[in-house]
Amino acid sequence: MKDFLGVYLENWADWGPQIYAAIWVTLELTVVSFFIAVVLGMLLALGKLSPVRLSRALCTGYIEVARGVPALAILFLLYFGLVPLGIVFDAFTASAIGLGMSAAGYIAEVFRSGIEAIHKGQREAALSVGMTPIKTFRHIILPQAMRIILPPLLNMVIILLKDTSICSLISTEELMLRSKDLAMMSFLPMHLFLLAGVIYFFLAWPMSMLTRRVDLMMQRGRRQTFSVR
Amino acid sequence: MQGFFQQLLELGGPLLLGAGTTIGITLASLVVAIVLGLALALIRIMGVGPLNWIINTYVEVFRNTPVLAQIFIIYFSLPYLGINIDPFPAAVIGLGLNGGAILSEVFRAGLNAIHHGQREAALAVGMTPWMNLRHIILPQTWRITLPPLGNYAIALLKDTAVVSAIAAPEIMFWARNLVTSTFETTFVYILAALLYFCLSFPLARLVEHFERKQRAWQ
Repeated sequence: MKDFLGVYLENWADWGPQIYAAIWVTLELTVVSFFIAVVLGMLLALGKLSPVRLSRALCTGYIEVARGVPALAILFLLYFGLVPLGIVFDAFTASAIGLGMSAAGYIAEVFRSGIEAIHKGQREAALSVGMTPIKTFRHIILPQAMRIILPPLLNMVIILLKDTSICSLISTEELMLRSKDLAMMSFLPMHLFLLAGVIYFFLAWPMSMLTRRVDLMMQRGRRQTFSVR
Repeated sequence: MQGFFQQLLELGGPLLLGAGTTIGITLASLVVAIVLGLALALIRIMGVGPLNWIINTYVEVFRNTPVLAQIFIIYFSLPYLGINIDPFPAAVIGLGLNGGAILSEVFRAGLNAIHHGQREAALAVGMTPWMNLRHIILPQTWRITLPPLGNYAIALLKDTAVVSAIAAPEIMFWARNLVTSTFETTFVYILAALLYFCLSFPLARLVEHFERKQRAWQ
């Protein structure tokens, strides 16, 4: 055990800065892909709920495909598969777009079910007091839907954080790839993959605790509103 | 047009072979995950002090780390301890352990949803605890957990793509091989994505069917 930990101390001057840099890339990738997923997911949800049939069909189609295809297949298609067509992304951009496009399918469903859960009387009342549809959505529907949407949305951050690891397979310089490179160079796979696992855990675990708390809070809020009714 | 079909046959063959492995890995890991998840959930419900603590830690660790890291530890790090595992079993063990952690939460929620009066009634009419579990609790839990179980199966099917990283010969692995030999990059990766979609789409419809049925029960 002492020997095992000693290896980390011995190599830390070499590994430390590289691992730190890789953690930042992982976090950046998580944030950027989450942002893309939320924006795209919101548009898809609104498109699926719209009265226009074509928009409904297109958005439903996108959501089904995004949910049925592994993120890795989307990443490969974006990063390698578009090159012959003259579309070249660098690894980070392809990763962020790919993860975002994949997660958008889930987030769209989360938004849609949240919006649909709001009683339609809310919307009718807002429109009848003279609010525009946009104001109605912004001030009446969305704040109430947020209560239902927030826990799965936070959960998505955790899923994305873990999924950034597969971006190592298209050579994004994030934590998993860095650990693998260092493991291959130093012939110490056990040390480096365990280290990577521990780092992922301490990034994701606090998020999980937070998500659980927010989930409980939201449930409590919902129960209160039910008792008022 | 004829060239297109010829190409489709040439590239589709190996990908379909990969699809067989993908289905094999998915089913094998699903069995491991269900057995492990159910066992862990039952132990947690019975509440055996230190054992519970160990299981909770296991569940938290496996749910909060990437499955790719878990598979890399199994495949690349265990040989360092003198344990050599082939890609296929390594993939099944990794995905199965990961799934066990996820499903233990699903089964626990399902078991908790059964009213305790059910158990008391079963014991009162003279059933043994095992009979109670087998004939009263599990059939009802099964009904509740079927939709989330189906959703997990879909997620698992898609997660099998990452085991191409340890050279398990599934769809993504064959796609990468084909690309290096034929340079038909765009076509091969679109075919691969389509193949996954063809596998997961029927599953998704099945889960929807279960969900509708469950809503009708309630």
